[in-house]
Amino acid sequence: MTVAIKAGGLGIILAVFGIFIFIVSQVLPLFRSARVAEIGTLDFGPGKVPLVFGIDEWAELPFYYDGGPEVVFVDAAGKKPSLKLPLALPEGAAVTAASFIPVDHLVVVGTSDGRVGSFRVDYAPEFAPDGSRRITPSLTPGEFYEVGTSGGAIRQVGFGDGGNTKVIAALQEAAGKLELHAIMLRQKSSLMGKGKLTKDADLDLTPMLTGAPQLLRVPRTGDAVIVTTADGLVDYIYLGSGIPEKRQEWHPFGAGIAIASIDFIFGDVSLVLTDARGAMDIYSLLVPEGGDQRIFVKTKSLPALAGPASFYTRSQRNKLFLTGSGRQVSLRHSTTEEVRWQENVGFDVRGAAIDAKGASFVLLDDSGKLHRFSLDDPHPESGWRAYFGKVWYEGATHPDYTWQSTGGTDDFEPKLSLRPLIHGTLKGTFWAMLFAVPVALLAAIYTAQFLRPEVKRIVKPMMEIMASLPSVVLGFLAALWLAPILENRVPSVFMLVLGVPLTAVLVGNLWSRLPAERRALIQPGLEWLAFIPVMLLAAWGLWQLGPVVESIVCQVKDASGHPVLDPATGKTAADFRLWWPQVSGTPFDQRNSLVVGFMMGFAVIPVIFTIAEDALSNVPASLTAASAALGASRWQTLRTIVLPIASSGIFSALMIGLGRAVGETMIVVMATGNTPIMEWNLFNGMRTLSANIATELPEAPVHSTLYRTLFLGALVLFFLTFIVNTAAELLRQRLRDKFKLV
Amino acid sequence: MAAAVSLKSKPPQGEAKVWLTAMGLALGIVMVAVLLGLILVRGTQVFWPKRVLEITLREGSASGSGPVLGEVMVRQRNVRTGVEEWLVHFGNKSKEDPGTSYRFVASGDVVSTREPLEVMVAERMEYGDAIFYPVRLTTRDGKVMEAADVDFPAALETALEKAGGERRQLLALERKEIGRISKQLVKLENGIKTDPSRETTNRAAMAVLQADYEKLAEQARGLRAALTKDVLRVRVASGGELDQPVGELLHVYQPNKLSQGGRLALAFQQFFAFLSEAPREANMEGGIFPAIFGTFVMTILMSLLVTPLGVIAAIYLREYAKQGLLVRIVRISVNNLAGVPSIVFGVFGLGFFVYTIGHHIDEWFFASALPTPTFGTGGILWASFTLALLTLPVMIVATEEALGAVPRGVREAALACGASKWQTIQRVVLPASAPGVLTGVILAMARGAGEVAPLMLVGVVKLAPSLPLDLEAPFIHAERKFMHLGFHIYDVGFQSPDAEAAKPMVYATTLLLIVLVVVMNLSAILIRNKLRKKYAAGTF
Repeated sequence: MTVAIKAGGLGIILAVFGIFIFIVSQVLPLFRSARVAEIGTLDFGPGKVPLVFGIDEWAELPFYYDGGPEVVFVDAAGKKPSLKLPLALPEGAAVTAASFIPVDHLVVVGTSDGRVGSFRVDYAPEFAPDGSRRITPSLTPGEFYEVGTSGGAIRQVGFGDGGNTKVIAALQEAAGKLELHAIMLRQKSSLMGKGKLTKDADLDLTPMLTGAPQLLRVPRTGDAVIVTTADGLVDYIYLGSGIPEKRQEWHPFGAGIAIASIDFIFGDVSLVLTDARGAMDIYSLLVPEGGDQRIFVKTKSLPALAGPASFYTRSQRNKLFLTGSGRQVSLRHSTTEEVRWQENVGFDVRGAAIDAKGASFVLLDDSGKLHRFSLDDPHPESGWRAYFGKVWYEGATHPDYTWQSTGGTDDFEPKLSLRPLIHGTLKGTFWAMLFAVPVALLAAIYTAQFLRPEVKRIVKPMMEIMASLPSVVLGFLAALWLAPILENRVPSVFMLVLGVPLTAVLVGNLWSRLPAERRALIQPGLEWLAFIPVMLLAAWGLWQLGPVVESIVCQVKDASGHPVLDPATGKTAADFRLWWPQVSGTPFDQRNSLVVGFMMGFAVIPVIFTIAEDALSNVPASLTAASAALGASRWQTLRTIVLPIASSGIFSALMIGLGRAVGETMIVVMATGNTPIMEWNLFNGMRTLSANIATELPEAPVHSTLYRTLFLGALVLFFLTFIVNTAAELLRQRLRDKFKLV
Repeated sequence: MAAAVSLKSKPPQGEAKVWLTAMGLALGIVMVAVLLGLILVRGTQVFWPKRVLEITLREGSASGSGPVLGEVMVRQRNVRTGVEEWLVHFGNKSKEDPGTSYRFVASGDVVSTREPLEVMVAERMEYGDAIFYPVRLTTRDGKVMEAADVDFPAALETALEKAGGERRQLLALERKEIGRISKQLVKLENGIKTDPSRETTNRAAMAVLQADYEKLAEQARGLRAALTKDVLRVRVASGGELDQPVGELLHVYQPNKLSQGGRLALAFQQFFAFLSEAPREANMEGGIFPAIFGTFVMTILMSLLVTPLGVIAAIYLREYAKQGLLVRIVRISVNNLAGVPSIVFGVFGLGFFVYTIGHHIDEWFFASALPTPTFGTGGILWASFTLALLTLPVMIVATEEALGAVPRGVREAALACGASKWQTIQRVVLPASAPGVLTGVILAMARGAGEVAPLMLVGVVKLAPSLPLDLEAPFIHAERKFMHLGFHIYDVGFQSPDAEAAKPMVYATTLLLIVLVVVMNLSAILIRNKLRKKYAAGTF
């Protein structure tokens, strides 16, 4: 039996610590870097470096296109022979430029006789009953369109799909120079579905360029063309309004420093640029403060590559991109500015592709061999920087701490900064403690030192019961009863906060000036009872005084600074709710920190009270008796003997109260707006770590980044309270040892 | 003498500050009293039948026109405008007008009020209360009875009872019989999935069940039709008349005719209905029985788990472990676990019990039902486990305290009689500390009953279709989701379509929960006090 008890006891205690270990184990994957391993190679044909290539969702059947009349699909497992699908090209033309847009499964090509066109590469998976799949590729050819009038060869092509308008941009050779053309294609929608694409316009954008064009990029939205020039300039030409318009030109690396690469990140809002030395910067489209148009602004700088980027591919589901120079391969995440994985491979990389699921990628070497790598990076957007640092998210005007875990669109990027949540937690705790600490400590002091013992036997359990009131009840009362009352009565609340303690001091002073016979009327230890009616009366008066003060102080002014008249009464309108935003510039919400501070304070008061009262009562009676015998008044005894001895116990009470406020969930969920903001304003809400978990965890997919991030939030809470509580406990033990000596 | 002189000449130093500390206590007591008083008053008011007023409004006033028939819920002065406003509950929501059943009326717009005796309040199956004047009752056997007839009340009562019986039959038919058939159908379907060779036999059995179902459905249609046969013609405040099938009414009363005793009886009747009925209409009407039952079962399951665990851990810590640094650290940690926020336990429960253990149980034992999770989703078992962990520190601390309070002499006496260590603990120490352990259990239960945040993650729901404990094998359905009083408050107070109509329900539930928690805590405190006294005397 002894063994069983020992095993059981130790087991249970270990299990309790298992909570901590389990939560840590759920959080750890967030801080892991990407795992990459080479899983095989396949040959496109000896020495063949194709024009474009791509892979399917499962990376089982890569294809390459060489500009000829066929597209070749190669079985990655090497079991089946290559599959060649024929492709019809305009007669007598050779393909001189091609580019693959994986999201649209589209290969855009340009020909030697000055035409551009495209074809779709589709993979259709078929699932057999036993779970195996067979992938059948297919090609859908598209129209070809003439570019310009010169008939010169096309050197680069780009494609963008803006819904009904699509654009193919091309760099075309004409008289030894390169011209920039944008072919606008319109798709007629009819009742019968989507109609044929017709050429709407051929825009010659060459005059808008500042130098000889080098690299051409078109965002997926198809509303712009971005071109770099030989002397390191980027031209941003906007097409969205129908009339081409040059929005911006800038030198990302300084005048005269050539740009080695320029590519879009998933979402097509940000550009990754490298120069000849490998320096890497990210520019994002945003409306700068004071501006009215979206332009590219430098938002991030990443560690430099070994040299100019020689290949680039991006993930189709997050902000990861794979790039490198020569033999160096680097997987990076734009938002967190982190290098997720970087290595030198044993060959010069000519091209790369990431599959649609982000589970693998392939690298093409200079001998036409395709190297397949598995990629395991489920949480690229996490990391210390994302959780605790300022991050410059796409579209924002400056780096900031933001929590916004879900959005409406596919390319929405979760913003997972824990800082607003920690801020909210501390804010709620601060206001709650501001209210709770004075009340609880004063009450504890009175109960322990002055209250009659027979009353104490009733008061103490009453406060303990108060500690056990379910927080959902307090939260409900805060939101549906207190908040509507306080909303109209903020000045009255301020009057109460100032007035009630003042009344107590005043009454105390007056009372102690009375002759002793009069004072004997209220026995020591019953002052609190006598004070209740006085306090209620004073509180009623102060409550009524609130609106009067409001009408004098909180006069609402209109935009020009004149007082606003109330149409009903004809007097100057005075309303704290309108006045506060005018004087402070911060909003006023009905469910605000005042309400939370009050109700959470109410939840914390009994916790602090009980422990502080214990600490005060445990001061040995011999000490207080000695002090009284030496002629000290009861207040002097308290101040000089009891408080110093009990101070560590009182501190521990405060710590435990703090721990309770930090972790409180339901009151905050119900009584605030749950907006993750970073303000200390008393009159708006907050979102705390605990409330955030309660509202978001039920919706978070298992093992997703959000799920693990919420676990991280729980871990932070766990640590916060554990540290605070341990400090309190150690103090309490010290206190106990101290008394043993006495 | 010296003392007397000093009393007369000068007050003791710091008396004014003593008053300041007295304020702290006074404030605390007043706040507790106000809060509990508020819940008590609002919570009991809900059941008290109010008088119905016919309010005639000034023509063309801002409060609306025409007479209003309703209960005045609140009379308050608007802080901003200084105008007195009445919040009137006029009921009579309908399919055509499902908006709100409350409106504000400015007292200045009221021309006159009267309390018509014949006005009737009816609690309906749907759309809340109806308030009207009864006109005549047409029963299914063709009898017509005017409201002024002497036997009108008795006839209405009979019709209501009949309708109640039919509704119960209908419910039994739909819940039990049809529910059984659909469950069997799912079972057969899953059987085909796991073993395709049973396809033909299972399909045949399913066809038989389908035929049974058709028969039962026909029966249900008949009952439903019968419910619309008795019709009560009523006149509403505006003077218009309409027909109200008696089958839609739960019970009716004429509030202005009731005596005080009748009111009290009605209040009790409504209170018991509140305790024993299932909720209706997005939980805003009806009772809270499933929530009470769910809370009860969850708390019991939790205490069954936490008691042995807590007692074993405490015995180990107090009686077996060597009192050194390690035990000190462990004790600090256990104490502090009590201070870890409850939501963290919820997070652990979801991640560990539901998604890890539950998921594996599903893979091993309930593979045929996948991808629909059985234990791999929140349920009452996982909720109990989570709360057991949450309350374990409370239990350990309380038990340790109780074990420590057992006098040394008693133990030594047992050991001297030749008992082994375990025998001493089992026969002497544990029985002596039983009240302390009980205190721990009660405190743990009180804490468990009041927690909501962790439960939101591990299996509490707005409306559970079936109870976690019923007469259907295997009787205890540990995987089922359940309703909980605390969550009910959150849900009804914050996720209801009509916030004003939900308030009475929330206050009543709150009162119940508070009473539950306070009673539990009080009894724990009383037991503890008694225990302390007993051993304070027993040590000598």
